[in-house]
Amino acid sequence: MTTVLGIACFYHDAAAALVRDGDIVAAAQEERFSRKKHDPRFPRHAINYCLEEAFVEPDALDAVVFYDDPVLSFDRVVKSLLAVAPRGEDVWAKAGPSFLGVKLFAARYVRDLLGQDVPVLFTRHHLSHAASAFYPSPFERAAVLTLDGVGEWATTSLALGDGSALRTLAEIHFPHSLGLLYSAFTYFCGFKVNSGEYKLMGLAPYGEPRFADRIRENLIHVRPDGSFRLDMDYFGFLDSPVVTNERFAALFEGPPRAPESKITRREMDLAASIQIVTEEVVLALARHARSVADAPDLCLAGGVALNCVANGVLLREKVFDRIWIQPAAGDAGGALGAALAASHLHFGVPRRVREDGRDAQRGSYLGPAYSGEEVRAFLDWHDLPYEVVSDRGARAERIAAALDEGKVVGLLSGRMEFGPRALGGRSVLGDPRSAETQTLMNLKIKYRESFRPFAPSVLAERASRYFDLDVESPYMLLVAPVREERRRPFDRSAFDAGDDDMLAMVRQARSDVPAVTHLDYSARVQTVREDDQPEYHAILEAFERRTGCAAVVNTSFNVRGEPIVCSPQDAYRCFMRTEMDLLVLEDCLLWKEKQPESESDDSWRQEYELD
Amino acid sequence: MARSLFRYHATLGHQFIPGIRARVLHEGGGYLLRTNAAGFRCGHEFRPERRADTFRILLFGDSYTAGDGVSDGQRYGDVLETLLPGVEVFNFGLSGTGTDQQYLAWREYGAAIEHDLVVIGVLVENIRRVVSHYRPFRTHEGDDVALAKPYFSLEPGGALSLHHVPVPREPRDEGDLASNEAFDRGGRLPALRIALNRLGPGVKDALQRLTRYQPLPEYDRADGAEWGLLEAILRRWLSELQAPAIVCPIPLYQYVEETASPAGYLARFRSLHAPPSVVVHDPLPAFHAHRRAERRRFRFEHDCHLTPAGHRVLAESLATAIGPLVARGGEPA
Repeated sequence: MTTVLGIACFYHDAAAALVRDGDIVAAAQEERFSRKKHDPRFPRHAINYCLEEAFVEPDALDAVVFYDDPVLSFDRVVKSLLAVAPRGEDVWAKAGPSFLGVKLFAARYVRDLLGQDVPVLFTRHHLSHAASAFYPSPFERAAVLTLDGVGEWATTSLALGDGSALRTLAEIHFPHSLGLLYSAFTYFCGFKVNSGEYKLMGLAPYGEPRFADRIRENLIHVRPDGSFRLDMDYFGFLDSPVVTNERFAALFEGPPRAPESKITRREMDLAASIQIVTEEVVLALARHARSVADAPDLCLAGGVALNCVANGVLLREKVFDRIWIQPAAGDAGGALGAALAASHLHFGVPRRVREDGRDAQRGSYLGPAYSGEEVRAFLDWHDLPYEVVSDRGARAERIAAALDEGKVVGLLSGRMEFGPRALGGRSVLGDPRSAETQTLMNLKIKYRESFRPFAPSVLAERASRYFDLDVESPYMLLVAPVREERRRPFDRSAFDAGDDDMLAMVRQARSDVPAVTHLDYSARVQTVREDDQPEYHAILEAFERRTGCAAVVNTSFNVRGEPIVCSPQDAYRCFMRTEMDLLVLEDCLLWKEKQPESESDDSWRQEYELD
Repeated sequence: MARSLFRYHATLGHQFIPGIRARVLHEGGGYLLRTNAAGFRCGHEFRPERRADTFRILLFGDSYTAGDGVSDGQRYGDVLETLLPGVEVFNFGLSGTGTDQQYLAWREYGAAIEHDLVVIGVLVENIRRVVSHYRPFRTHEGDDVALAKPYFSLEPGGALSLHHVPVPREPRDEGDLASNEAFDRGGRLPALRIALNRLGPGVKDALQRLTRYQPLPEYDRADGAEWGLLEAILRRWLSELQAPAIVCPIPLYQYVEETASPAGYLARFRSLHAPPSVVVHDPLPAFHAHRRAERRRFRFEHDCHLTPAGHRVLAESLATAIGPLVARGGEPA
């Protein structure tokens, strides 16, 4: 038996994953345990959880594998800074000690945590990403595209996976990076780099791509094979702590938007423009990959693979027969990829592709679960009122009835998701039929007024009735159009005349599932199968029986800036801090009006930084 | 944040959550544990009927017996099973309890189970826990609170009265407790202990050696109130047993490492008035059989619980007392 623990840390989104004989046993992000969003620290809690799930002692580990090569990363930092010296002193002061003092001592961290020496291996950052996408995929042979900010030197890579083998075919090197280009616009539009990219993507449908040519002509030169170069005269990430500079600002008509300030038409247009350019580059890279890799299917990983709009375009263009995207496509997924790469490439564990054509990601429900006994222990200890509904069907009916009445439901069920999306394990649910749901859930649960609609979860067997989607999307990584017959016209005359009020637009019903329909009639879809998450599937079925609608609103179980909840304690705390109506903790139902009064001050809101 | 291990229990105060598999972060590298359906950290489910070819021991104690700091399989109860073939140990050890709560666990869970021997592992520090009404507890959120525990009082006629059952749930602030609500501060001079702990285990050890620190003066007098209560609880417990029993006073590290004199507690346990079927087994000589320099490895660097090596010494010592009983089918010599 070969047991390998993968870890990713020290940059952002630290995580750990454990793989046994090539099978994924456990994976989790450190933030879920430490309650610090995007926690980059050594993932001691996540490692502890992985060993707990596998129920193995450290001496059973064949290796601990670090997700990148700190020596190569250090080499890149040094050479990049030398290239711009003496500029970049600030960057060096910040990054130097991080690489020297921390990354090179990963093995010591492992020994201190586990109390014994375990062989520590290092893999390559992009190999980790590629492994995280290929090995769990349902494909025997596939091209693998990894697109992210940077890992060691690589920013973009093409690999070929075939059986147990995974071979890198080509790379684009730092500083030429599609991920960093997108992050530059994220920063420029006033969102947080490495976490606010999804906001920029959600903003794009409001804008016109009037800057797209300016981006193509000045910032990125794309060759026919999809490879590209950035003009570094516009970027700051070589020699300053910020990613854009004054030339960038001059090109896009003014300084960066201050975080939390009003979003103007310029930011909307910038979002639309960079989205189009990103899609073009991804498509060109995919076409090149198809031509050189001689494989019918494509796997995607790296932070850019979380751009589900681009993924949807890629799917509809049918460059490849099938696409599989690692749901933890960012750095956290590197932990899983490192463990898989070491298992198959270093230890020679043969890869087994599932015969039923499904992937090996287990629905990405790879985190901890809490038994009914554990839930009741917590509730009883604190003498909290709850009702046990043991029968799944009866429980689903109760939850569906609450949703039908416009109630908002927090759901903690089974194992926690690995990756940034809540998929019914740690989700907040609402009624998608109501135009009010979006505003209600934003203001009362997320404490934000967002221009982005929520995402739908839909019964996999009914998905095509709602969306133009002919494949499954279990990980909420594909954006698909709402079907034509469900769409409703809405009035955008004021917006088109120059009124920048996005919320007035988003509050208008655009379909018969308005809470999950974006301005461009798109939706970020999760299809739900019974064998992936039977509890969630039962809720959707019950909701359909009651209302005729086979979809619900699904948003992550957290308030803004907070990591998604992990434990029943986290869930209860979040429930009491928000205006959710019903909390489902496994087989226990808790109604808000029956709970004792909670903390009255809202100083906890300062605990969490905004994206 | 770590998985919670305990639930409220109306009689015991708390117990393990049934049916969990957990790994606890710890300075020793972390440890794995399972709990059975009855809510004890035991690899066996508590079936009342005993197989004819099995010698069943019911083992009671606190965190030293439950095995804080070490994985299942490394605890002295588990090691006993490997040392004595045919022996089955039902481990009722419960972290954070005193002998009073362990007696209540016997009454509620153990008494109805067929067995050949009862082993009561009395961490000698339990003398302090039995006189306390509240115990320190760190909540899931990291707050330090005082939780009520069940406790006995010794009445003038020698009878034991049970209080705090059902155990109050509401956590209290230590500062809010009245002077007659005894709180287990985990030892003498708590403020000094906290300060010394910050300086590191080496400084603390050196200071204890230099001052010949005596951790448990409660054992110094045979007529002391604390020993009177502990002895009364043990006597009542032993009087209710139908099978032979071993009372094993588990020494603190100061006694193992000979920085403090064990004379007080050894004298008290030797004088324990118990039925003939009860053996008081002192494992201290087994620890002292090792060179002084080696004994430091029987506890962790910071945590004073037994390491796997410490558990092994304790198990091997107990095996010398239990082995002959097993050979005689449980009959006392």
